[in-house]
Amino acid sequence: MTCKFLILTGDGINCANETAWAFELAGGEADIIHINDLLAKPEMLFDYQGMAFPGGFSFGDDLGSGQVMALKMRHALGTELSAFVNNGAAIIGICNGFQMLTKLGLLPHPTRGRSVALAPNLQGQFIDRWVTLERPQSSVCKWTIGLEQFDLPIRHGEGRVVFSQGQEASLYQELVANGQVALRYSEDVNGSYDRIAAICDPRGLILGLMPHPEAHLFDLHRPNQTATPFAEGAGLKMFQNIVAHLQTSSEVSP
Amino acid sequence: MAYTFRIETQLMIPTQSSARLLREARTYLGVSLSDLILFKVFRIATETKPTKSAIEEVFVDPIMETVHWTDELKSLSIQPSWTIEVQYRPGVTDNVARSAEEALSLVGINDATVATGHLWLVVGDVTRVDVERVALELLANSLIQKVDIRDWAETVQWSRFTDVRLPTVELSMLDQRYRTHDHNASDDAWMQWSQDNCWALSAEEVNHLKGHYQRIDVQLERENMGLPSQPTDVEVEVIAQSWSEHCKHKIFAAQIEYVEGELDAPHTVVGSKVVNSLFKTYIRKATLDIEQERKLPWLRSIFHDNAGVVAFDDAVDVSIKVETHNSPSALDPYGGAITGILGVNRDILGVGLGSKPIGNMDVFCFADPSWPLAGDEDSMPVGLKAPRRLLEGVHKGVEDGGNMSGIPTVNGAIFFDQDYAGKPLVFVGTVGVMPKQLSDGRDGVDKTITPGDRIVMVGGAIGADGIHGATFSSLELDENAPATAVQIGDAITQKRAMDFLLEARDLGLFTCVTDNGAGGLSSSVGEMATLSNGATLDLGLAPTKYPNLCPWELMISESQERMTFAVSPEHIEDFLSLAERRGVEATDIGVFTDSGALKVFYNGQVVGCLDLDFLHESLPQMQLKARWNGPMERESWIDKDLRINPCTLSWSEKLKYLLSTPNVVSKEPWVRQYDHEVQGATVVKPFGGSTQQGPNDSGVLWLHPHGGAQDNTISVGCGLAPRLSLYDPYIMAQMAVDEAVRNIVSTGADIDQACALDNFCWPNPILSDKVPDGDLKLGQLVRCCEGLYDICRTYGLPLVSGKDSMKNDFRGRNGRGEALTVSILPTLLVTAMGRGSVSRIQTSDFKAVGDIILKVGLSNPSFTGSEFAQHFVLPKSESIEIDLDANLRLYRVIRDLLQNGQIESIHDISDGGTLCAVAESCFGNTLSATLTLADDDRTLFAEGAGGFVVSVSTENLSSVTAALNAAVVQYQDIGVVTNSGLLSIGDEQISIADLKDAWTREL
Repeated sequence: MTCKFLILTGDGINCANETAWAFELAGGEADIIHINDLLAKPEMLFDYQGMAFPGGFSFGDDLGSGQVMALKMRHALGTELSAFVNNGAAIIGICNGFQMLTKLGLLPHPTRGRSVALAPNLQGQFIDRWVTLERPQSSVCKWTIGLEQFDLPIRHGEGRVVFSQGQEASLYQELVANGQVALRYSEDVNGSYDRIAAICDPRGLILGLMPHPEAHLFDLHRPNQTATPFAEGAGLKMFQNIVAHLQTSSEVSP
Repeated sequence: MAYTFRIETQLMIPTQSSARLLREARTYLGVSLSDLILFKVFRIATETKPTKSAIEEVFVDPIMETVHWTDELKSLSIQPSWTIEVQYRPGVTDNVARSAEEALSLVGINDATVATGHLWLVVGDVTRVDVERVALELLANSLIQKVDIRDWAETVQWSRFTDVRLPTVELSMLDQRYRTHDHNASDDAWMQWSQDNCWALSAEEVNHLKGHYQRIDVQLERENMGLPSQPTDVEVEVIAQSWSEHCKHKIFAAQIEYVEGELDAPHTVVGSKVVNSLFKTYIRKATLDIEQERKLPWLRSIFHDNAGVVAFDDAVDVSIKVETHNSPSALDPYGGAITGILGVNRDILGVGLGSKPIGNMDVFCFADPSWPLAGDEDSMPVGLKAPRRLLEGVHKGVEDGGNMSGIPTVNGAIFFDQDYAGKPLVFVGTVGVMPKQLSDGRDGVDKTITPGDRIVMVGGAIGADGIHGATFSSLELDENAPATAVQIGDAITQKRAMDFLLEARDLGLFTCVTDNGAGGLSSSVGEMATLSNGATLDLGLAPTKYPNLCPWELMISESQERMTFAVSPEHIEDFLSLAERRGVEATDIGVFTDSGALKVFYNGQVVGCLDLDFLHESLPQMQLKARWNGPMERESWIDKDLRINPCTLSWSEKLKYLLSTPNVVSKEPWVRQYDHEVQGATVVKPFGGSTQQGPNDSGVLWLHPHGGAQDNTISVGCGLAPRLSLYDPYIMAQMAVDEAVRNIVSTGADIDQACALDNFCWPNPILSDKVPDGDLKLGQLVRCCEGLYDICRTYGLPLVSGKDSMKNDFRGRNGRGEALTVSILPTLLVTAMGRGSVSRIQTSDFKAVGDIILKVGLSNPSFTGSEFAQHFVLPKSESIEIDLDANLRLYRVIRDLLQNGQIESIHDISDGGTLCAVAESCFGNTLSATLTLADDDRTLFAEGAGGFVVSVSTENLSSVTAALNAAVVQYQDIGVVTNSGLLSIGDEQISIADLKDAWTREL
């Protein structure tokens, strides 16, 4: 079976091309679809087994990162998106896409309302640097299987995971208990709660992460030179994982 | 509007941004505050009553933000002593408001008008004067923003939630569509009008204009068209834009009588001569000569489009352009810089049938950011900003412009010198890719317009901001610079237009496109009209930000994010419908013709008609005088010399000192705020190695993700050497070219497949009573062009694009009221781009213990113009020589050694000389070095052309040295890479950690 992924673009999404390429390199099929075309024909979602919310600055992050794009989707695509999620679609939100997923309420749990947000970095500024990530043993995430410790770049100004005020500890404990903390930074890079870099839904199919896996497809993407520039990068492995998962999974009903 | 209200939102999560502001207030303004708390302000007017929940859904994330509907300040636990409200002045672009209006329409509120602002709560015992300084220096730019300061008593009384007004632009209705100017009026009257209207016309140009309108045939033609006999303001404004130095490059086209004094060796004798156009004689000639001599097949499109295009790949072509945005950045650093970067992106978008931006570059020249020191503020030119503020504003503008547009910032530099206090230089550049052939078979670089093609304006609406950008930049700065020349770029509107353009290109929906740069529709339609030989447009059709703009304002306003397309009638419907589906404003405003004229209407009534030949081809050549008599001593307008006697410090102390100077110190904290790897193709990043702190010489972009061959890359680097301008501009130009070339060669570019761009920023070089040394500045320009020509010929390096900015002076007063003139150092920025290969890429960081360190090249080290000479007292200035042939051999052999994988690291020797280059090579992988160099200043710190620090494994050493010998390239084994953590020469050593601390100190 070929896995088809819808890669969202438009209104300030910047990383659709490299995200689509990552799925293709991983053996999937990827169509880059403009948000307005999707909203005009929401049922097209059901032609796909997965969807990506790529990085960028949707609506310039003018009212908060991902805020207006999430609003636009919630009002025009709410029903179809819920059905798509219920069908067992694999969804990834990278950077600005992660911010959209939290504002859409798809993360941390698609049916329980919002409890997580991505606040401005503690430093109060945008940061581009490579970081080391660790996958917690308890993680149920299907995208990160087999990736124990690896490097990806972060490129964001608002990537600090925060929880609803006053309920931080309990919400965090619940995520840990459900295996929903998908990735942690090996060191504190932006003030994120307990160094959280990525969160997935309880089934491990919807992943939101601040680092950019589509920016580490080959060794040559790394900041330090290696002898094997075309060797596969850790980011590519995430896309390969999900293609493999969907191909073997019976959950999907296209 | 029926409902006009205000909300304030507050982030409940603490960040360090306020801590940074508090520190800046303390450090730069000497004002100690306890806290600064930000409330975002939204003022909203609508006919539909919104629900509270709809507003909250639009404006906040409930997890981390709260909304205040009423005054909540009194219930705060801390009592502020002051409040500062900052809001935009009427007519200034408010990007957040634009997004908010769009977001409100998503929740059913379709008619909202929004204005945004900031309310700062100031906590601490400070005076009103101090609060004003914090507000105007740190929180707002009074040119574009209104600032209201209230003490606590006033704040408590302030009924801001009930008395809400939004800023509106109110222009009075015109009683006539245009004004006229009498072509028979005196020259004096015209010069006065020129000054009053910011036309920047010279006496000769006024004469030429008057003469045209006095012609009988012109008068008859005007009568036939229903135009008055006198020129209309629309016409004069279009003429002024088209003839501006900014658009026409009159100085580079001028006839120059150059007189050269007798020169001592080794200065190259150019000799007195008459130069008929610097551009034709040097810039274009260099490229054409090289193209012919080397039979270059890869120069695709040069000198006539928005950017140069080269074929460095079999499937895609690469375009490149560098611009300056100096004057706008001086007035509003953020707005000037973001419009600059978005503007050069549009240049690339408008190349051929549309090129996709894949990398940005930025180079800033500023005065030292620590100047003026506290107590010395009145030495500042009045009306200009402190260098620190400029640096921060410009940096943020480039960051937002690039990051939001999804274009990686891959290369740059910041150069500090006191003479940039009069005008900062902001260079912004972009690289793009385009398909060689479109899907319908058209050649990607081919622009054609057939009479009958529609004129379509795409992007943002027109406002009064951005009027006179072209003519303004052709004037010197003074205290009265017009605020209308300042705009704020809108990255998101442009991003949509960019995506739309590339989609429309691939669907074959247009025949020509160009950027609405300085001069707005006047320049874009005026230039495109030459392709079909005519155009007719109706300005009444153009979308505007607010009513009652005059036709001449609509014609020349350069509001951003706009491009003009030619669309054939058969595609117009598809073109406009695609635009609508992509949320992009596109308006059919007229038709291209073959009438030979640019005809301008306003709601059906003719308001101007200009013969295209008269507009573009008729202007008489300027006649200028130039001289050069040899090196000049520098006269500082700031009476300070803080240089140190080098004998009082050891080499390690001198090294540590140099590493921490503003020009050498690491710019990493600034660079990391740029996204340098979006699009997934940045292979060599600004900082590399396992520490990600090794400074790389140039950026490398991989072409494969952009449709190129799998192994194919391009390197982009830059060079400039303005401190040599006073010594000899001939050498200055060559040093700039050589540095740019070194920087790309060291990351794997092939010197034989490389091109360059020339960007000149000069002080006013036209001799007049006001500029008594104009002829000398023009003489410097002539020698600069000579040097540029000679080095490009020898290196075989074609110049594919360039630009000049010629009035970079400040004439005004300082804070003490004394007359002050500050001219920038004559500056040539050279950008080099070369074809590389993934297999050849190398970086600056030492890789392994035991590798041998070689100093390669640098055959003629010198202190003149060096960083060392800036900070240490030297006995006398000394001559500089560059061996161009030796350098060319060096660059070729480096390419071959990289291709063979025989070099482990390579870093160019520039600011701070050989020892700084070695130290920087240690930082990428936390390695160290033991050197066998002699402990003398010349060996360790002198600079020059054609030098690298290279590390080589012991097994490759003999083959590398054999290759260098065979190429007759000088080299010296200077030591070995260690992991001792110490840099050692003889008995003396210093820890790498100490050096790194110095190098990474906060700028």
